[in-house]
Amino acid sequence: MPPNVPTLDFRDFWHIAPAGVLAAWGLVVLIVDLVLARKRSVDERRRTIGALSMVGVGLALVAAAGLLALGRCAVEHFDTVSNLVGPSLAEYFGRPGGTILLGTTAANFQTDVFNVLYVILLGLVVWISTSYTFTDNWGEYFALLMWATVGMMLLSASEELVMMFLALETMTICLYLLTAMEKSRRRSAEAGLKYFVYGSVSSALFLYGLSLVYGLTGTTQFDAIRQALIDSDPGDGGIAGNLAAASALLLMLVGFGFKVSAVPFHQWAPDVYEGAPAPVTAWVSTGSKIASFVVLLKVFLHAVQPWSHPSNQLMGPGWLALVVVISAVTMTYGNLAALAQKNFKRMLAYSSIAHAGYMLVGVAAVSVSTRGVEAAGSVLYYLVVYAFANIGAFAVAAWVVRDRDGDQIEDLNGMGRQAPFVALCLVLLMLSLIGIPPFAGFFGKLYLFLEALNQGESTERLTLMGLVALGLLNSVISAFYYVRVLKAMYFREPSGARLRPPRAAIAAPVVLSAVVVTVFGVAPTPLINLMKSASAPMLTAVQPASELVPASPAPTPAPAVVPAPAGAPVPAAASGVPESASGLAG
Amino acid sequence: MNSEIPLNWFLYFAAASFSIGLVGVLLRRNAIVVLMAIEIMLNAANINLVAFWRYGTPPPGAGPLAGVILALFVITIAAAEVAVGIGLILLCYRRWNAADVDRYDSLSG
Repeated sequence: MPPNVPTLDFRDFWHIAPAGVLAAWGLVVLIVDLVLARKRSVDERRRTIGALSMVGVGLALVAAAGLLALGRCAVEHFDTVSNLVGPSLAEYFGRPGGTILLGTTAANFQTDVFNVLYVILLGLVVWISTSYTFTDNWGEYFALLMWATVGMMLLSASEELVMMFLALETMTICLYLLTAMEKSRRRSAEAGLKYFVYGSVSSALFLYGLSLVYGLTGTTQFDAIRQALIDSDPGDGGIAGNLAAASALLLMLVGFGFKVSAVPFHQWAPDVYEGAPAPVTAWVSTGSKIASFVVLLKVFLHAVQPWSHPSNQLMGPGWLALVVVISAVTMTYGNLAALAQKNFKRMLAYSSIAHAGYMLVGVAAVSVSTRGVEAAGSVLYYLVVYAFANIGAFAVAAWVVRDRDGDQIEDLNGMGRQAPFVALCLVLLMLSLIGIPPFAGFFGKLYLFLEALNQGESTERLTLMGLVALGLLNSVISAFYYVRVLKAMYFREPSGARLRPPRAAIAAPVVLSAVVVTVFGVAPTPLINLMKSASAPMLTAVQPASELVPASPAPTPAPAVVPAPAGAPVPAAASGVPESASGLAG
Repeated sequence: MNSEIPLNWFLYFAAASFSIGLVGVLLRRNAIVVLMAIEIMLNAANINLVAFWRYGTPPPGAGPLAGVILALFVITIAAAEVAVGIGLILLCYRRWNAADVDRYDSLSG
């Protein structure tokens, strides 16, 4: 081992215990399914394997909640924790949040909270999946669901380009396969292939952007990238004349744009949402979106923050101007296109594109903000609320597909009469998605737009004000297509097969999501405070100086590395300043 | 060891193969060829990574993982992607009897 590589602290693995449990449980599920496959019918296997998967989700929830509790209590109740897990581990958990596993992964309050969130949402998705038979391969299906979740957990915890790319691919490759799982329908295979082609092209573009970032800064760690960019002051021109930096930024934006389905990189979303089985759509539209947004916030607001608007003009060269434009186009296009949809899942796809646009307003706001942590907290709050509302809506989609074999909006006809309670819950979810008080969606938009209005210099405020005005206009437009769902449920005669009363697998997720959006709408303060305290370590996570600075740094003041391909002036990359991580962490 | 081949050459080569891959994805219709083009794009990024690693000096505090590690992982990921991609293409081929991405058009609107 070279002398300046820090040794791996094996206690670090405790921090990724929830991901570890899910990864291992996926294997258990696969093996049990193999054993059962020859003896049981498909329906029996669905129920057995589903229950087994729920056990795994429960174990992961215990691990995630335990970590959260340990992290919170290790300082104040050191003695109790020390008796519980031993002094070595208690002291380990008592450290202030930092990075683990050689600086590749963050372990702090934010990652703990989001691990719990992912596990809860995964539990709902697994539960919905047990409601009807859409595939024969139940072992593979549930295992892939869990492994996709492992990718999400590591993605939103990553602090380093290698980890980020690896986790991103773990997540999306599992989701490609899950999308194509519905064997009886042609559209499922087609959606899987489309998702694969769009997704892997965007990954390749993204990776090329990452390689340029690595070349420009000489490092793969978010915090060191930030430091290298700050040290290489681009001057007043910003990155305008810098071809390598500009293409790196553009390619990374394309990559993230695909993952969060922002216009013009959204083409995959409607096809995949419509073609995939409803529970998978629920997971694509919530889990993968949360993880992508969290890592987008980390990369753009921490790592390449110095490139946001280096010339100090909001619409000057830098990624901020692009994000502002993309956000405006995304919310407008998403809402207008949703108006024309007849398919329930496809409509929700366009609505989720529009929601990505609203959240990008928040990203722009954080970047110019003096209250970055609060603004980022409002984005996270929006994500959580959006996720629960969508899970509930897709649970209804699964129910309609099961009983009426179709997921058009007209298949919801007469639901208000045949299943009044579930229909009422769907009304609450739709109202929350529109953003009507007192539901959580309203407060999500309120916090997001208020943070955007509170920011910055007067010129910046004007641009952001325009963006917020556009957002409000779009919320009004969105009411039209959400109300069409309510109209179908209450004012149309029942058509098609009669909806059988939903079993717990459908009803419970719908009711639970409705409760969540109502409770956090009536009392939003606890959740918004939680998300604000979660966003603080997310945006400031630095390497613990003691661990990652090599024992003998040997700061060679070597000149910078990279001549750009076109010979453009490149910011001096590794300027060899003998303090960066240690100075910052101190 | 001062190099005989300047870094720029590697970057030009990587940019060229990346563009070839991108054009292939956009213009070719056969799903297998699209898959090959994606592989070319990934490998172009790998060339970048290795070249930057070879010619660059990491700043202090850069952490223990050099960029070349990312290239190693990308090779693995590319293999996984091919496996999944071929599987999905086969699945579609059985339904449509065609490996032509333009033919898969039951979803639109």
